[in-house]
Amino acid sequence: MSEDPYAVLGVKPEATQDEIRKVYRQLAKKLHPDLNPGDRQAEEKFKQVSAAYDLLGDAEKRARYDRGEIDASGAERPRERYYRDFHGAGAEEHSYSTNAGFGDFAETDDILKEMFARGGGERQFRLRGQDVLYRLPVEFLEAVNGATKRITMPDGGTIDVVIPAGTRDRQVLRLRGKGGPGIGGGTPGDALVEIGVKPHAFFTRKDDDIHVEVPISLPEAVLGAKLDVPTPSGPVRMTVPKGTNTGRVLRLRGKGAARGDGGHGDEYVTLKIVLPDEPDPELEAFAQRWQAGKDQNPRRHLEA
Amino acid sequence: MIRIEEFLLRARLDQHALQAWVAAGWLVPPQTDPEPMFSDVDLARAQLIHDLRQDFGVNDEAVSVILHLVDQMHGLRRSMQELLNEMRANKT
Repeated sequence: MSEDPYAVLGVKPEATQDEIRKVYRQLAKKLHPDLNPGDRQAEEKFKQVSAAYDLLGDAEKRARYDRGEIDASGAERPRERYYRDFHGAGAEEHSYSTNAGFGDFAETDDILKEMFARGGGERQFRLRGQDVLYRLPVEFLEAVNGATKRITMPDGGTIDVVIPAGTRDRQVLRLRGKGGPGIGGGTPGDALVEIGVKPHAFFTRKDDDIHVEVPISLPEAVLGAKLDVPTPSGPVRMTVPKGTNTGRVLRLRGKGAARGDGGHGDEYVTLKIVLPDEPDPELEAFAQRWQAGKDQNPRRHLEA
Repeated sequence: MIRIEEFLLRARLDQHALQAWVAAGWLVPPQTDPEPMFSDVDLARAQLIHDLRQDFGVNDEAVSVILHLVDQMHGLRRSMQELLNEMRANKT
């Protein structure tokens, strides 16, 4: 369309939005292809009128057109097929096909009856309810060990969500039938619960394994020790071998999070030597006279 | 066939509106399990209903009347066309 859209609608350039809408409605009512299934001229005119209204019916677009920023071409809106395109000889029968308009002729004439024998559709409609999405924050240990949490739904009802042991951050639990109600006897939708696992003060998780950093004293490191180490299922006694260094990792088999296959991940304990908070004269004196320690070069691997 | 999510999007409807339209008999999607499937006819009809309500200011009562008359008109047009085709075939 490249004609003046004001001329197409037959309105003055100073017409108000209200007037334009009224005129469009008037024309569209007369020209809509679904109300004029046999009239090709009406269809052509309707296209022009719709395109003109697309431009002028929107105050912002109209202002841009008036300022010359956009022209009338290319304003035609792409339209999916019209309803009338699904009717006519050769078109497939569908639930809207009806012979109700001439049922009375068919009663008296067998040929017509045969020709007109065409059924209406069934009015039956079942619809599955919508899935509803929730986000549920849980504590780190609740996710690792499993827990039951209660969600309050928008309608005031509650759902108990069983969080299986080993649930991961951002994992989505599907609760069948706990979503929106179905329509016409359709099944209800599901509740989709996305789990957000909060961080823990000292545990971190990588896949099914738990990592924790455990400080040890200098004597424990030098002489070895037996320590109580925290795991998600409670403290576990662990042996620190004699001469253990900072950064040494010990594995506690099966003390990680539950895995899908019924087993468990492991807990990895990273040891860290921690000196006394206050400087200790005895330790200083020892370090002063400890020749082997002074001869040690722990940074040899950093030398270029 | 068109799945319900796609239909709602393309027909610019939400589930509640769809429910109301079906209850009013404006749309009659073929029932399939577990959810109804829609066709291009339903889409075109939804577009017509939008046009009637939004652009033409037709109220909901009148939409039902118009759809009923439009469907009857299509039935008549189709039969008329078939009848004419028959007559032409018989002539030759």
